Amino acid sequence: MNARHKIIRTTGLAAFFGAMLLGASGLPAFGQNPRLDIKNLEALSKKASEVVDVNLDGPLLKLASKFMTHEDDREALQIIKNLKGVYVKSFTFEKPGDYSPADVEAIRSQLQPPAWSRIVSARSKRDGENAEIYLMTAADGGNVLGMAVICAEPKELTVVNLVGPVDIDKLSQLEGKMGIPRLGEHGDESDQKPGGHRAKP
Amino acid sequence: MRNRRPLLAPAILSLALLQMLPAAAQAGDSEFHSLVERMSDYYQKRPMRFMGWMNFFANRFTPGGVSNFQMAIFDGVEASPTHPSEDFESSLASLVGPSYQPFVNVHNVRSGEWTCIYTRESGKERIEMLIISIDASDAVLMKMLLKPEAMREWVDDPLERGRDARRGAQEAQHSQP
Repeated sequence: MNARHKIIRTTGLAAFFGAMLLGASGLPAFGQNPRLDIKNLEALSKKASEVVDVNLDGPLLKLASKFMTHEDDREALQIIKNLKGVYVKSFTFEKPGDYSPADVEAIRSQLQPPAWSRIVSARSKRDGENAEIYLMTAADGGNVLGMAVICAEPKELTVVNLVGPVDIDKLSQLEGKMGIPRLGEHGDESDQKPGGHRAKP
Repeated sequence: MRNRRPLLAPAILSLALLQMLPAAAQAGDSEFHSLVERMSDYYQKRPMRFMGWMNFFANRFTPGGVSNFQMAIFDGVEASPTHPSEDFESSLASLVGPSYQPFVNVHNVRSGEWTCIYTRESGKERIEMLIISIDASDAVLMKMLLKPEAMREWVDDPLERGRDARRGAQEAQHSQP
């Protein structure tokens, strides 16, 4: 076997095993990441009067779960135990209209199919509030790998990113904890798609 | 004369103890002390004096679940509100060291004030919390030990607790002579 054949064979084997590994590990499709890049949303940061970042991951998340000893924390604890990280970024603006829907695109652009799908979009015409929930599932459509929540109010915009398996039915247990807004407060119109059906973003 | 001696001795002893207290409070945590030194180097400023006294009294009035409160204030530092956020956060992270994990950051864009809160486990189900608050002219460094009930409040609402910390640091700055 000459050197050229050897290289082709080695490359072919590497590609084969690489593809097998990708399939077996439940990696998200097209290399999309369950961890959003919400650290630097410069356009929004410049317009906001206050920016708050919350990072709960690694040892701190494990530690936080130790302190959730109340009876009513039990279900939330089950979710947190499986999570790898909870990241919240909240922008407060001085007056309504200080940020535009286009500014939110910096976040939405990361939540694209095929890995991400919007499962809930609720809008309150009365209060001008808007909540969207996105799920990232594994390439085989099975495991949930992460979740994103965009909660837009006239003077406040909050982005929540949960990394790790999340049971959407139990998400309500995390509302009001760890900086996650109460999503039940939004609800005039919604295109909720329970059961993991993908909605067009 | 016989009646005065028993009163004089405890009085002298109390005075001596009181004199020692600020130093004891300051030297109580060598790690905090070295962090203060690093901040001093970073800002080329010494912390305000009499912080030992202030820490001693502050520990008497800390809220439930908070103990070992220590604080240092750096007055007149040149902290520009136009810090590029990434650079600023990474320089603070290298200042506090890798053992602390960033937890909450509050940035008031208008005033340029930053409050960065770091935590780490401290054994026996305690959390060490480090709060650094910097505005255009002052820097405040606070370190405290949190019991589970106090940490639970932070986990429940880190956004609001972070804002509380920022307000607390502001009040500490403004209460200085």
